[in-house]
Amino acid sequence: MSQEFSRRVFLGNSLAVGGGLLLGSSLLSGCDSGASAGVAGAVSTTPVRGGRLRVGIIDGDQAGNLDAHKPVGGGIIRGWALYSKFWEWNPDVSTRLALAEFAEPNADASAWTIRIKPGLEFHHGKSIGADDMLFSILRLTDPKLASPYTGLVGAIDRTALRKLDERTIEIRFKEGQSFFPLDETLISFGGIVPTDYDPVSNPVGAGPYRLKSFIPGQRSLYSRFENYYKPGQPYADELEILEFKDQVSRAAALRAGQIDVASGVQAEHSALLKADARLRLYVSPSTSFTGFNLNLAKEPFQDLRVRQAFRLLADRQELVDRGLNGFGRIANDLYSPQDPTYNHAIAQRPHDLEQARSLLRQAGQQDLRVELTTTPGAGVNAALVFAQQAKKAGVEIKVSQVDGSVFNGPQRESWLLSPGSTPARGFLASALHNDAPQAIYNRSNFHDERFTALYQQALAQPDLEQRKVLVHEAQRIQHERGGLLIWGFNDVLDAASIRVGGLVPEQTTFASWRFDDLWLNHA
Amino acid sequence: MHDASCRTPRTPAWLSWFIGRLGYGLLTAWVISLVVFIATQALPSDPARVILGPDAPLQSVLTLQQQLGLDRPIIEQYLRWLGRALSGDLGISLDSNAPVAAILFARFGNTLALVAGVIALVVPTALAFGVALALRRDRRLDRWSLSLLIFLKATPGFLLAIGLVLLFSMPHMDLLPAVSILDPERSLFRQLQFLVLPVVALSLSALPYLTRLVRAAMIEALESDYVIAARLRGIPERRIVWRHTLPNALVPAIQGVALTLRILLGGTLLAEVIFSYPGIGTLLNAAIQMRDLPMIQASVLVITLSVVLINLLADLLTVLLTPKLRTAWRVTLIQRNRRGIQPWWRRSPKAP
Repeated sequence: MSQEFSRRVFLGNSLAVGGGLLLGSSLLSGCDSGASAGVAGAVSTTPVRGGRLRVGIIDGDQAGNLDAHKPVGGGIIRGWALYSKFWEWNPDVSTRLALAEFAEPNADASAWTIRIKPGLEFHHGKSIGADDMLFSILRLTDPKLASPYTGLVGAIDRTALRKLDERTIEIRFKEGQSFFPLDETLISFGGIVPTDYDPVSNPVGAGPYRLKSFIPGQRSLYSRFENYYKPGQPYADELEILEFKDQVSRAAALRAGQIDVASGVQAEHSALLKADARLRLYVSPSTSFTGFNLNLAKEPFQDLRVRQAFRLLADRQELVDRGLNGFGRIANDLYSPQDPTYNHAIAQRPHDLEQARSLLRQAGQQDLRVELTTTPGAGVNAALVFAQQAKKAGVEIKVSQVDGSVFNGPQRESWLLSPGSTPARGFLASALHNDAPQAIYNRSNFHDERFTALYQQALAQPDLEQRKVLVHEAQRIQHERGGLLIWGFNDVLDAASIRVGGLVPEQTTFASWRFDDLWLNHA
Repeated sequence: MHDASCRTPRTPAWLSWFIGRLGYGLLTAWVISLVVFIATQALPSDPARVILGPDAPLQSVLTLQQQLGLDRPIIEQYLRWLGRALSGDLGISLDSNAPVAAILFARFGNTLALVAGVIALVVPTALAFGVALALRRDRRLDRWSLSLLIFLKATPGFLLAIGLVLLFSMPHMDLLPAVSILDPERSLFRQLQFLVLPVVALSLSALPYLTRLVRAAMIEALESDYVIAARLRGIPERRIVWRHTLPNALVPAIQGVALTLRILLGGTLLAEVIFSYPGIGTLLNAAIQMRDLPMIQASVLVITLSVVLINLLADLLTVLLTPKLRTAWRVTLIQRNRRGIQPWWRRSPKAP
């Protein structure tokens, strides 16, 4: 009821600004001019306090949980409200200190020392100490928890964790190895929770909002955490995360003013949402890549010439235009272009059908037939576009769709040709998702002696300039003989009411999840 | 009607018939729970993998399988579930880690509210409309209304629903909320505006069948011998229609309402998706997608029990409304009747 009231007041104000006594269609245009005046008001960068911020999310059929270390489904987004970490993401996908006031590796990155700020508190009033820090890391890495994200922090040696003083801990790694990208891997799911934490009965953390109620598959409600570590934040009194099953009904809810933010909207809806004067579309040029894994363990991709031919026959611009509805940028078979160690000297691989054909001829694969296995959904478009492109070079690609659970099942590393994507991360962390020697899943089965050596050295090299040299060479190897065909970086689209402030497009995928920065002009 | 002389000292036959049907109903529910358990196990892939998502290492998947008891023989898993269910524990959702019962019953309550709304709207409308059309049989109003009803029946439900949203809740025509996001902190009765569009959308789909059923039953009854006899005796037409014909035409309508109810219990899914209404349909659908076994089992059990209950009540009402059956002195007389209250395995398939 209150929402309708405020909408009415808002429209009333708009009419007043529009100046008036107009009839019929001119009445509507009066509305529109009023709305743009409203934009000017909302754009002002002074955050407004109070109100209830309502965010609509879609996570397929998964209801998800509240677990800090084993979030599934919408649990990842809810985690942004509930939990804080040692670090947080910068808009350019680098990291900055959050709960920690000091977090540095030693000279060869074989040990990290982390000290948190003094006087920090959890939602239930308990102050944060070294025991909570150790508990959180032990819980995340606990094999019994069966977290899907242990793979990323698998290097941490659970037995060598040490408490140095009440606010400081030391992290070492298995077999004394070095692990420089600790921040990038621990940041996502390393929420700091108290020792009496329980994801169901006591889901407390140190995030900007504390939980009031959670109804799986429906909604969760939060209230402002007064002792959040960023003074004065968050801004809204209450946060509500609503789950939708359907993009169309969420778009309708946003347009009707029943929610304030729609997190992650489909490109297909962009025109509709853009046309609505009371909404704003935010396009985040993320560095999350989309591409294909060419399985090096199988014929014909064992042949370097076939791999290069596939990479040459891809018309990347067309893939971006049709596979991503134009919301993206082309890529050069390499990930993490935002990383300061990225090798910009490697020339963009062209779209060259002639060379692709001749390479295939040299490899004796003129009439190549391969199967591309994908999951139903967004990836199918790009797969079909790629299959069309391959036909021009005489390669027949059969696109077959399998259920997500089959795709990620026991066969997951043995698909011959499959789509691959990784959210925006730095080079070392992205490699852990893809083709690093200790990758969680190496769908392209890329194993290269020199690359492995360079990667291991880079893990032990905190110095940026020296690491740059190593990564540059590693990327040259990936570009020359790797198994990833990375054709694009996709944009992330969010839509919000013009009353919402603090939402800024960034290179990450989670511009609309920064609940501590968002505010609502609820007056 | 209720004079004491009709009553025999022993229990009426319909009561023992009813108890027998109740037993069969519970047996059906048990068989279905077993079938569903086996069917969910036959689905490709395992819950642990679906829940943990694409990034989960094999070790985590195996650990979770073990923790969930998925590595046990299926019969052992089933017996364990059955034992807990009988003691009132429906388990913990694999997806959200929250107790199944709390989520399920809240959602089921919402579905019941939706179904109750539809029935409250459809039954009186269908009765009034059906009787009116039967009395104006083959006249212009009847023909036009029948065409309209067939049009409604032929239009897919989601189209009707989206049409309603576009009509009533888009900017500049902002009468009703576009999506029914219920506030769990407030009572459902205080947010009835969220129920309007889903109820109307579902009613438009359910109305044609019931209206035509009432119309056909009324026409049949109006042509029966006792109505002709009543007319010959000069009983006023109004009294014939409302006092003598309608109660007899009601019996098929009761079975029709029961069928509509059974369809609605599972069929609200459509309205639930389009209006984001938190009912049991989306819950079950999501649970199947996520291979959330305790949730699937419990949802199916609740739906099965409701269907059994609806059937029982409809049959009981039919028996009580039919004098011949109500006063039957042997159970077999009820079982052999032609009023369509045989158990499902003796019924001939009937299209809605």
